Amino acid sequence: MHKELVDLINSNIPEAKAVFNEATDPKADASITVEASSILKLASWLRTNDHMPFNVLQCISGVDYLEYMEVCYILAHFDLNTPRELILKVKLTDRVNPNLDSIVEVYPAADFQERECYDMFGVSFNNHPDHRRILCPDDWKGFPLRKDYVPAKDYNGMLVYPDNKMNFEDREFIVRQNMIKKAQEKASES
Amino acid sequence: MQSRWDIGEPEPRTINKATEQLKSELLTLNMGPQHPATHGVLRIEIWTDSEVVAHAIPHLGYLHRCMEKHSENMDYRAVIPFVDRLDYLAAMNMEWNYVMAVEKMLGTEVPRRAELLRIMVAELQRIGSHLMAFGTYALDLGAFTPFLYAFDYREKILRLFEEVSGARLLYNYYWIGGLWNDWTDDQLDRVAHFCDEMEEEAKKYHELVSMNKIFVERTANVGVMSVQDCFDFGATGPVLRGAGFKWDLRKNKTYGLYNEFDFDIPIGTGEQGVPGDCWNRYIVRMKEVVESIKIIRQCLEKLEPGSVMAKVPKIIKLPKGEVYVRTECPRGELGMHLVAQEGEKSPYRLKVKSPCFTHVSMLPRVAPGQMIADFVASVGSIDIVLGEVDR
Repeated sequence: MHKELVDLINSNIPEAKAVFNEATDPKADASITVEASSILKLASWLRTNDHMPFNVLQCISGVDYLEYMEVCYILAHFDLNTPRELILKVKLTDRVNPNLDSIVEVYPAADFQERECYDMFGVSFNNHPDHRRILCPDDWKGFPLRKDYVPAKDYNGMLVYPDNKMNFEDREFIVRQNMIKKAQEKASES
Repeated sequence: MQSRWDIGEPEPRTINKATEQLKSELLTLNMGPQHPATHGVLRIEIWTDSEVVAHAIPHLGYLHRCMEKHSENMDYRAVIPFVDRLDYLAAMNMEWNYVMAVEKMLGTEVPRRAELLRIMVAELQRIGSHLMAFGTYALDLGAFTPFLYAFDYREKILRLFEEVSGARLLYNYYWIGGLWNDWTDDQLDRVAHFCDEMEEEAKKYHELVSMNKIFVERTANVGVMSVQDCFDFGATGPVLRGAGFKWDLRKNKTYGLYNEFDFDIPIGTGEQGVPGDCWNRYIVRMKEVVESIKIIRQCLEKLEPGSVMAKVPKIIKLPKGEVYVRTECPRGELGMHLVAQEGEKSPYRLKVKSPCFTHVSMLPRVAPGQMIADFVASVGSIDIVLGEVDR
């Protein structure tokens, strides 16, 4: 299904430059990567085309790969005869200030999902009608699901993360610190 | 950036000559975060024009517990208790989805007895969750009695779960590769007995609530969400089926051993009101209880003795890759996007697509033009659990 769809996308929207990512492991799922600039045009084509439509946007999930940021659009087709689902990926090379076009006008479901992606990863969406944080408070600093996120010691003048209350031997703490170190090293290399 | 809620000056309403000269403006009202009808800590900012809702803006995040961040630092096994706490009314269904995602990457064959027991437990949990939805929905609309009936029977399910898993609400019962504990014959007999009782009880609920004149007046033709609305916003589960679209992952994209089972998918037919309104969403849940009983009975017939746990490595490490697994939970489709890196003991990223999160995003579409009391009925009818919305 994926290869067929890649050909269809490339013939209809050549600027999307769709690439088929075969699953690295036979048990994992395959996906399609497209150019970030074409996402709005591609989304409206995916929703309305006759050959292989996807009528529902399930979710938008971000992944921080340290060198780049990836946004996954998970689409599905709710049809009684031919149900299908697709992981559509967009690679954002600017990891510090990632930027994408909003697809709310095509899929209204993207409204909350994009807000969550902004809240957690700092991906800003152009032309989003209500571009705010959704789960964290509006005055929260930083984007929690980035790998190099360091929780602030205080919030609005209140000390919430004091050193003497931290369990430095906690496994979770060590894993997180290692991850932050790794992310910062990678960032300084590039 | 201009917010969509900037709608400018409201149009003055003219009721009669005396009020024509009066200035009218929208009143902002906070529903929640501590409000019984929001089933948790959801705050909805309502702009009202007298008794009519002009806008509703949901504010989420009061129950945000960073579950996705925590799971990035936990072993694959240690994530299961976190997943439990997503939808604390249907914890078993949540666990099943996560466990299935890991098993898919690991390539584990789950023993047949474990697969059958998983279906049985998930369906029991579905009944429990729908009973809760039924009771609290009636409570939202001002009827206290159904709540007590529903909790009586939900308690019987919780007692059974407590015996096999040791916990009443958050079980940690589905393990990667099977189940933590086997059911004894005596316990299975009690499940069969419960099914008989529940079938009779469900009829009583219909007499008590479903066709009750007051209940129908409050819910029929209220908060209509059409099939197109559901597709736009990605709504699933009883909301989509209540709108009249026959979509259930257990049938349409089958997982586990559901393809061996014989059951119907109830949809909203507009017996009262129109498909997609509160009454139809409610009746879909009540009919699903009966279908679940059918599935449990078939499970009990199919069960044969055997192991309930497959052989799984002591330290779980997954190959590089990602999976998206979705299952049908009581509230809709739950999806988990699991990204794994080679040699890591914990997930690289776990994104949870929760059904209630998408349903809450539909509220601004439904609210305008409703009375405040009807809006309460609409919020109750999508059966939100805030643990799952905020994660």
